[in-house]
Amino acid sequence: MEPGQDGDGKPTEWRSVMIDLSGVSLTDLVTDDDESVLAHSLRRVLGELSGPGEPIAGFNSAV
Amino acid sequence: MPPQPPPSSFSLGDRAFAALGAGRPDTATLDLLHRAHLSRHLLLLRELRLSATVEPDWFTRLSTTDPDQTRQWIADPMTGLWAAHALRTGAAPDAAPAPRGGHRLTAHHRDLSLRVRVDDSDPLRRSLGLTPAPALTPVQAAHWSACLDEAWRLLVDRHRAAATTVAAVLRVIVPVLPDPVAEGISATSAEAFGAVAMSAPVDGRSLAAGLIHETQHSVLNTVQLLFPLVEPGGEREYSPWREDPRPASGVLHGAYAYLAVTRFWRDEWRAGGSPAGGFEFARWREAVLSAAGDLLDGGRLTPAGERFVTALRAQAAAWRDDPVAPETARLAALANADHRARWRLRNLAVTPGDTGRLADAWRAGQPPPAVTSRLSSAPGRALENSHRLRLAHARVKGDAADRTGDGDAGAGDAACVRGDHGTALRSYGEALVKNRDDDAAWSGLALVAPQQALRARPEVVRAAALALPGADIVTLADWLSG
Repeated sequence: MEPGQDGDGKPTEWRSVMIDLSGVSLTDLVTDDDESVLAHSLRRVLGELSGPGEPIAGFNSAV
Repeated sequence: MPPQPPPSSFSLGDRAFAALGAGRPDTATLDLLHRAHLSRHLLLLRELRLSATVEPDWFTRLSTTDPDQTRQWIADPMTGLWAAHALRTGAAPDAAPAPRGGHRLTAHHRDLSLRVRVDDSDPLRRSLGLTPAPALTPVQAAHWSACLDEAWRLLVDRHRAAATTVAAVLRVIVPVLPDPVAEGISATSAEAFGAVAMSAPVDGRSLAAGLIHETQHSVLNTVQLLFPLVEPGGEREYSPWREDPRPASGVLHGAYAYLAVTRFWRDEWRAGGSPAGGFEFARWREAVLSAAGDLLDGGRLTPAGERFVTALRAQAAAWRDDPVAPETARLAALANADHRARWRLRNLAVTPGDTGRLADAWRAGQPPPAVTSRLSSAPGRALENSHRLRLAHARVKGDAADRTGDGDAGAGDAACVRGDHGTALRSYGEALVKNRDDDAAWSGLALVAPQQALRARPEVVRAAALALPGADIVTLADWLSG
């Protein structure tokens, strides 16, 4: 992720390494052999799998 | 058909990103989060398909099913959980995804609808982190339905923006067994955007608060998929919402979820003047501010994280001057101070070497040496469980009876909560004369004692008192405060 910046160095836009695949069908995604387009997104998504994956738990609605 | 443009990277303007940090995403941002989570599922399923040498049944079925149904199945929170589990374990996934069961509920009020599946049958629901409840009885299912209707009316009428977010994000509720030490428990998995595991709600209002809270976790999980907010690593730290120490990412999750909870109770309190709402608002407002400040000072945030948490803190700070009744404010501050004192006593310890140097200095009549408190507890989830907090809740709700617990510490708690610090001080002191290892008394003492050492670092006074069993605790606390 890297911010786009205006003339003062302040970020104007936050850009993700993730690619928007929501308009692509799974079949097309599987048959598309151009891994380079997906490389950053894949690394991001699959990298999560090696983390602890601990669910966030603990809300106590006491009142 | 014209050729489709190549996929582009997700991006969010700074104004929209700050609004997201402040817990006020607009519909365009909510749509972006939905597309991001759908993209994640597509990538996971792609990897799963490519990892199989023979086309799996589930893929064949998806390829031959109506595209809209296929897309719904891909977007389902449990699909993300299923695919992530299969990829992580390397186990061959089930032959084909069955149509998902459970109780499909629709709550409709005015012009907004919430459609969820109360899932009490999918074996995957165990992966959400809490023990699933067995299949619901008709009476239990009716209770969930009634609470959802009540919660939805409340959300749409009084918390419109939150209702819009919940409607856009929430898809699955998994009923779980209650926790014996908590009055309500819920959890969200980073791998199941839009799913929440939750014990049966007491009523619609508690369900509304719980859904808002858990939805925030789902939103934040997807924000962090797109824009990492916290650098990996780092020591576990204080979190105002848990008894155990948490990594910075966990503190951020708590702050973001409780920002929405604070807003909920603020609006409830302003709408009806409920003292309980005022208490929750005042308590969580300060907790969010404190946690956000710790995060910004902690050096673990990425540039995006700094922007996000700055907006989060600014939102909570904007509520800081909203007045609540003085007694409500006192009890809210007491609850937060109580949590911090108990957290320190539970999780921090003085090393044996430092404790020995303290004892030597005391015996030699010298000033106390500087000592360091270190994390001493093992990782693991622990929820808040405080007798004083229960008394404070009762007092806020107008329960005149001061229910005292057992022994001197219990009597001290009742006095502490009603603001009688002199009686509380004596009771906690008497409890510690009988047992210097009584952490309930130590944490109570930390709330009412005049000595700075007891208020700020009770674990240090405790360590000295245990190492010097003949020393008077008040005199020790004075010495350590000097």
